[in-house]
Amino acid sequence: MEKPQRMTSRERVLAALAGQPVDRTPVCCPTSVATVELMDLVDAPFPNANREAAPMARLAATAHTILGFDSVMPVFSIIQESSALGCKMQWEGKDNWPTVRMSEPIWDKPEDIYIPNNLLDHPDLVCVLDAIKLLRQELGDDVAIIGKTMGPWSMAYHCFGVEKFLLLSLDDPEATKEILQKLKRVTIDFGNAQVEAGVDALTLPDHATGDLVSGEYYERYLRDLHTEFAEKIHCPLILHICGRTVDRMGFIAETGMAAFHYDSKNGPAESMATVHGDIALVGNINNPETLFSKTPDDVKAEVFANLDAGVQMIGPECAIPLQTSIANLRAIPEAVQEWHSRH
Amino acid sequence: MAELSDIANQTIQDEIEEYLERPEEIARFVELFSRAKPAMQDIAAAIIEGDDDEVDELTAKALVDGIDAIEIMDDGLIGGMGIVGIKFRENFVFVPEVLSCARAMRAGMAHIEPILSASGIESQGTVIMGTVKGDLHDIGKNLCIMMLRGSGFEVIDLGVDVAEDTFIDAVEESGAKVLGMSALLTTTLPNMGKTIEAMIDADVRDDVLIMVGGAPVTQEFSDDMGADGYGPDALSCVAVAKELMTSAL
Repeated sequence: MEKPQRMTSRERVLAALAGQPVDRTPVCCPTSVATVELMDLVDAPFPNANREAAPMARLAATAHTILGFDSVMPVFSIIQESSALGCKMQWEGKDNWPTVRMSEPIWDKPEDIYIPNNLLDHPDLVCVLDAIKLLRQELGDDVAIIGKTMGPWSMAYHCFGVEKFLLLSLDDPEATKEILQKLKRVTIDFGNAQVEAGVDALTLPDHATGDLVSGEYYERYLRDLHTEFAEKIHCPLILHICGRTVDRMGFIAETGMAAFHYDSKNGPAESMATVHGDIALVGNINNPETLFSKTPDDVKAEVFANLDAGVQMIGPECAIPLQTSIANLRAIPEAVQEWHSRH
Repeated sequence: MAELSDIANQTIQDEIEEYLERPEEIARFVELFSRAKPAMQDIAAAIIEGDDDEVDELTAKALVDGIDAIEIMDDGLIGGMGIVGIKFRENFVFVPEVLSCARAMRAGMAHIEPILSASGIESQGTVIMGTVKGDLHDIGKNLCIMMLRGSGFEVIDLGVDVAEDTFIDAVEESGAKVLGMSALLTTTLPNMGKTIEAMIDADVRDDVLIMVGGAPVTQEFSDDMGADGYGPDALSCVAVAKELMTSAL
């Protein structure tokens, strides 16, 4: 296919998500590239940037304005929905991630699940919707805005506790499916609300990770649900699952989602071979060793490996440590430019 | 030399045949279970199957029958968990199955621990364990603690979201020679290094040997941050703790 003329960042991301040709590989952040340095630069520290629309939008915009990424992501964490559902929260300070107190679960069994009809009016969801609108005003149509809606498996960890939910998945598969069926409404409703607010695509984290459960689990509990999300949420979806996931990538590729955000525990070439072009891949620059601890040259080497393998979008493997240097993050788009100047 | 056919329990035989691949591990478990009493093999099989009711019943019966508590723990409970640990390492089972087996082990340990406490058996040493600041995940840490306690260590569990100062205070107050830190998230992993730096600043780093683990942790990351040991799973946690405890003495 012929390479298109110069595209805007947004056009580039949307084309890659649609499996269409791009002028160069887009650089994306489907999870978060927020750092303490970026917070200082735009006066948008955690926890405010997780709870108020204006600092949330300011910090999100830095992914494009300071780092040079093709997309921005206003939802830095994975806890907005869980907060709205009533989970006990630890919002933390500037240098730590907000988190759910999973040792104090709010529900014990499927019948306990209560999703308020006005869930989308909760301040921790409203701020996301407002931040998306602010970003669209600020960035216009030039930059892709990616939102985030959590999958039911991840929300179940927060609401029931990880250990309890994983044991339930073994002891009582029917109850587990009932939980997922009930929670899926949150995923769909919050996802479509973000579409209405102006996102171009959504990341859907659902942590059936290779470190916790098998590929067979993904097929049994999540493949059909994820297929349903791809049908009912009205924008391209990027599934995010951490850890080693090659054993479930084939199932993921069947869901109709536009892309899979994959971890550095999976090699780019083996991952591309596994999905057979049925889903785009985005990733997989290592966080703790490379982006956090090494040099821009090391970052570039990983970017080149992904590009050589044909990975369609480049970005960190997951939300990055808050102390990651701007220089290492900027090395990602620089490396993409360098690679394309040679190819 | 013991043979697989010397093991009376069919489940144990099948598990070794189907899931163990390393010759030294096959030899170790064939030797263990061919020597173990049939009742201990039954307990180990129930552990592997994650049947907590069965483990509860069999452990109680074994004690009534006069079998020594340490023998039940070593040959039955830890023997069974040893095979579970290998299956987990090799991706034959995942965390839900391991949690189920751990629940079964706890059912057995509920009978054993009071007896061991009362008998005054010398501990293998004290280990401080905690999940680092900002990280509220505890499954991996708790599995490690269960295996450490099952292997004769005394464990001080600091819980999750443990601040640097809390680790430092625990080292100063307990005099423990080994400290284990866990993290599940790539975002909280740097807090392991920060804790080690805080220990250097507080002048307690040389008082304790540090082991680290958790899904995103690697040997390279462990070396970079200056830890003394790394283990990829709960089974190796015990081996690392034993090694560090020996070198600390």
